[in-house]
Amino acid sequence: MGTDKNRYIWLGIGAVIFLIYPLIFTLPFPRHLMIMIFLYATLGLAWNMLGGYAGQISLGHTLFFGIGAYTSTLLLMKLWVSPWVGMLAGGAISIVVSLIIGYPCFKLAGHYFAIATIAIAEIAMVWMLNWDWAGAAVGLTLPILPESLINLEFHSSKAPYYYIAFGLLVLALMATLWIDRSKLGYYFKAIKGDLEGARSLGIHVIKYKFYALALSAFFTSICGSFYAQYVLFIDPDSVFPLMISVIPCLIATLGGVGTIWGPVIGSFILIPISEFTRIYLGGGGKGTDLILYGFLIIIISVYQPFGLIGLIRRLRKKESA
Amino acid sequence: MALLEVKQLTKNFGGLMANDHVDLQVIEGEIVGLIGPNGAGKTTLFNCISGFYPLTSGQVFFKGEDITGLPSNEICLKGIARTFQIVRVFKDLPVLDNIMVGAFNRTGSSSVARKKAMEVLDFCGLMPKKGMPAGGLTIADKKRLEVAKAFATGPSLLMLDEAMAGLNQTETAEAVELVKKIRQSGVTVLLVEHVMEVVMPISNRVVVLDYGRKIAEDTPQKVINNEEVIKAYLGDKYHASRRAN
Repeated sequence: MGTDKNRYIWLGIGAVIFLIYPLIFTLPFPRHLMIMIFLYATLGLAWNMLGGYAGQISLGHTLFFGIGAYTSTLLLMKLWVSPWVGMLAGGAISIVVSLIIGYPCFKLAGHYFAIATIAIAEIAMVWMLNWDWAGAAVGLTLPILPESLINLEFHSSKAPYYYIAFGLLVLALMATLWIDRSKLGYYFKAIKGDLEGARSLGIHVIKYKFYALALSAFFTSICGSFYAQYVLFIDPDSVFPLMISVIPCLIATLGGVGTIWGPVIGSFILIPISEFTRIYLGGGGKGTDLILYGFLIIIISVYQPFGLIGLIRRLRKKESA
Repeated sequence: MALLEVKQLTKNFGGLMANDHVDLQVIEGEIVGLIGPNGAGKTTLFNCISGFYPLTSGQVFFKGEDITGLPSNEICLKGIARTFQIVRVFKDLPVLDNIMVGAFNRTGSSSVARKKAMEVLDFCGLMPKKGMPAGGLTIADKKRLEVAKAFATGPSLLMLDEAMAGLNQTETAEAVELVKKIRQSGVTVLLVEHVMEVVMPISNRVVVLDYGRKIAEDTPQKVINNEEVIKAYLGDKYHASRRAN
């Protein structure tokens, strides 16, 4: 096992590499790739707070992604509110929505919870497709503003987006680290481990499930707002699709559910696979990346239920033994 | 004043009366044994007291306060902790983390919870296993951990549901020692046991349930010789032949 000092050295080296990456790779694609990796790692971390730590498998997180994207975009278009404020507003709305849907859904156990979350996300998608004021099926094209940090729009280079995405990832990592070491994390894991056992030890199960969902929804929503500002066009198909619910779940599962670094590792493996299969297998190969995902997930769940982190831990143990 | 007072507790499952107007008192500092044949309603009574089942009728008082119908987590906060007959350890978590979950009942700080958990680990003799995932423990150690988790919540009353079932003689003796130590530390114990030999030497008082009704409540010596208890455990035939002698 690495000591704490070692760990900080590695973290420092990692941070430096990622900070100078855009200076080395100046073409749009490598930067775009990393932005996507950071974005999905953040989504994976957000999903992991609820699904990994508290064991509540949501397959409807696209709901919060969409809320984030639409809230910041609508506030910007209708009221000229800065996307940064819109981002926080989206997060706040997502927390409120999570409380509303959490109440009925948390009474459902296991798979039924997952099914309910899919249903709610689908309802949201249909609603958005028909809501004219919010652009309906046509979607919303964000106004092109002068590039600046306050406007959260950059047209000449992807580098600022890169650093912002990296910042979001660091933020989500720090939140996860805090959860992992605090009472919240222990209670989440207890709820995941044994519901009745958790209740008998004084845990208000529903309350802590709410905390997990609210934290998870908040970070997912922030990613949605960032995505809208990055792509500058949103419609229900691009910010409410089922895949935005599924991919973070796959990423976290591949890397290791309920771990701090699992979703980051998962994203660094799955997103490049997805991007490159999309490039090399072209439009006709749509879905090839998903077949690959599926294959990877099956292998992992059969041989390494604790994900790649589990594999790494096992190898380390062997080494030290 | 009784620490725990159960008044006329009744629990029906459809037509089955699992607990039939049971009265029970536990005085501070006691070890009370709750015994009875299979299906007598011991675990049901536990579940009703600890808030896992809603009562059909009756009341539960703890430290003079009516706690009837409170959810289990609030009852734990009030100071009643329980274990389960079929252990509910968090099997993926290390032993220390399992106990920390219990310790967080009285604190929000991880360092305080860790310190408390280390004390409990030591107290319960689980220190050598502290880093092991709970799922990898032996049955005896799982039962011990189940007690340790509940003890870490800082209860005034600890209710143990068959904490010694399925253990061999040595392990049972160790578990009995642990229960004694817990009582010495100032925690009152209510003990459900199936096996009379375990309950008798350590209980101040024994309560006997049969078909959901309380049929006896006395010191262990007197309960052993109680005719109704013998009948409940050994059946009418043995009881009758004994009488003939």
